[in-house]
Amino acid sequence: MAILINRDTQVLVCAITGRSGQLQTKVMLDYGTKVVAGVTPGKGGQSVEGVPVYDFVSEACAEHRIDAAISFVPGAFSRDSCLEVFDAGIKFLVLTPEGIPDHDVVDIVNYARSKDARVLGPGTAGIIAPGKCKVGAHPARMFKEGRAGVVSKSGALSYEVGKTLTEAGIGQSTVLAIGGGPVWGFTQRDAVELFQQDDETGVIVLLGEIGGSMEEEAADFISKHVTKPVVSLIVGRAAPAGKSLGHAGAIIEGSRGTAASKIEALERAGVKTAKTPQELAELIKQVRGC
Amino acid sequence: MKLYEFQGKRIFREYGIPVPRSSLITKAGETSEVKPPAVLKAQVLIGGRGKAGGVKMWNNEADLGPLCRDLLAMNIRGEAVRAVLVEERAEIVQELYMSITFRGSTATPVLMVSASGGMDIEKVAHETPEKIVTTTLNSLTGPSDYQVRYIAKRTGYGNARDLGKFVAALWAAFKGTDATLVEINPLAVTKNGLVALDSKVVLDNKAAYRHKELFARLDDEQRVLAGDAAEGYAEHTITYVPLDGTVGLISDGAGTGMLTLDLIKDAGGKAANFCEMGGFTSPQVIYDALTEVLQNPSIKSLLVVLIGGFNRMDEMAEGILKYREDHGLPVPAVIRMCGTLEDAGKEAMKKGGIPTHDGLLEAVKTAVALAEGE
Repeated sequence: MAILINRDTQVLVCAITGRSGQLQTKVMLDYGTKVVAGVTPGKGGQSVEGVPVYDFVSEACAEHRIDAAISFVPGAFSRDSCLEVFDAGIKFLVLTPEGIPDHDVVDIVNYARSKDARVLGPGTAGIIAPGKCKVGAHPARMFKEGRAGVVSKSGALSYEVGKTLTEAGIGQSTVLAIGGGPVWGFTQRDAVELFQQDDETGVIVLLGEIGGSMEEEAADFISKHVTKPVVSLIVGRAAPAGKSLGHAGAIIEGSRGTAASKIEALERAGVKTAKTPQELAELIKQVRGC
Repeated sequence: MKLYEFQGKRIFREYGIPVPRSSLITKAGETSEVKPPAVLKAQVLIGGRGKAGGVKMWNNEADLGPLCRDLLAMNIRGEAVRAVLVEERAEIVQELYMSITFRGSTATPVLMVSASGGMDIEKVAHETPEKIVTTTLNSLTGPSDYQVRYIAKRTGYGNARDLGKFVAALWAAFKGTDATLVEINPLAVTKNGLVALDSKVVLDNKAAYRHKELFARLDDEQRVLAGDAAEGYAEHTITYVPLDGTVGLISDGAGTGMLTLDLIKDAGGKAANFCEMGGFTSPQVIYDALTEVLQNPSIKSLLVVLIGGFNRMDEMAEGILKYREDHGLPVPAVIRMCGTLEDAGKEAMKKGGIPTHDGLLEAVKTAVALAEGE
């Protein structure tokens, strides 16, 4: 098992006929992901890359078992589309769009919770279980099957580290990005919890960045509940104070949210921290003895 | 968009939240509909106004001109005062604190109420956090009666009915305007009930499309009062932050952008800027990013770090080559390109005569060396 997805996960693509929906459906199918259906209102009856398109999620669910959905629905229409996904009984949604109003994100996540479903994102690059399945944008050749479980805020940073680990001969159980915030459906702490329970994960890799306190919350959880080795890379050591760097929360205000304070909290929780992806690979080799 | 006090209070009034009667003065010499005794408050977006002397008591009719002249000449922590809010003075029995915002990690609204409101609320939060009652709300149902009764008990403010009406109105304002923060400090207990004496409101720019008139009006006012410092509310795909080094940087992710900033420093170089394009880009976006970054005359080399997921490398190559065709590249460019459709992207760059790198560290070192003139 990987976390959240596995070899048998059957996937629905929301807004499958759009530009991103079409390309990513092809890329996911090429990887071996079981994309079984798509939804675009008004386009029911068409097909994309051989995948049937439906007008409504409930119509797709009547024909297929759906384990996970990935959404490319633009921000202004996301809320309605997500509620439809959960009403149809789908338990895991990868929410890729950026620009969804915060109130809508919070409604989506609160609604999902009431239906016992999970939301990864918004603004997420998604999740890959190398060699098994990917629901998202992770470029296939940067990842290979193995025992490192990687969680990142930033999608691109999860690719960067995946690429470095793969080149160093370290495979991954699951790699996921949770998005840049400021509101999250799924946190680093949540990922760490699942990695701790996952038999196929031997070492947990936590990729963080300046701003907010999510890495500190993960550190607190690690010190209390995690027995597996955890290694971490926090980016933004050279960032200037008072400037938001791309992610809504990536800002240093006073002494709060600095890379130094996060590194300190993680090291206090017994986490080994690296300064670069290369150093991270070295640390993993040491803790795993491979 | 962060609002001025008078803007936030106008929203409060529309949602039935009691605020003092007021008028706004933008030039010394203007008259006020509100008469003394009143309070004159400098309108600035930055906090700490009271401690900086931006609030004055107005007792004698004749003093209005001189008091406003003083306030309008002030500069509070770098912010020029361009408007003064004149407010009827309230008879304060007690000062409370109330706010609603989001807790990002749980994606829930949180309501915070304290009986220890006033200027030292941050000290209270730090030293005696138990004096702030924090209630997690469900965004789909809003505050429940039992939650209000609990807050009334815990804070010692006994009038749960009055508090309930106030909380409901504040929740409606928070939800109805797509606010990410509504804060009242102090929230005055007067003999006529609760009154919001201050307002701190932040609206979500991502929701501007569904409040077009509201955002346009607020933005017009901010342009008059803050001039060039007004932030505006257009959603930008590109994040550009100027720095003081010589390596021009563009990345297609915030995380890899920050990592590259760290690696440039480790390699002994200095970045001229941070520029991040977001995960969903197009040829036009990288074209615009190049335009923004290359206008800086201090740049000695350009480093473009691309590792595409949703972002397509064929489109990135198209944008870079189009920019070079239109404007040329004023400094040596180091392009790191991998990810989605990387073969097509690299091929196009090769045809265009610009080599690409695969390794990030190697690309950073090359760009730093070029900036140092080696």
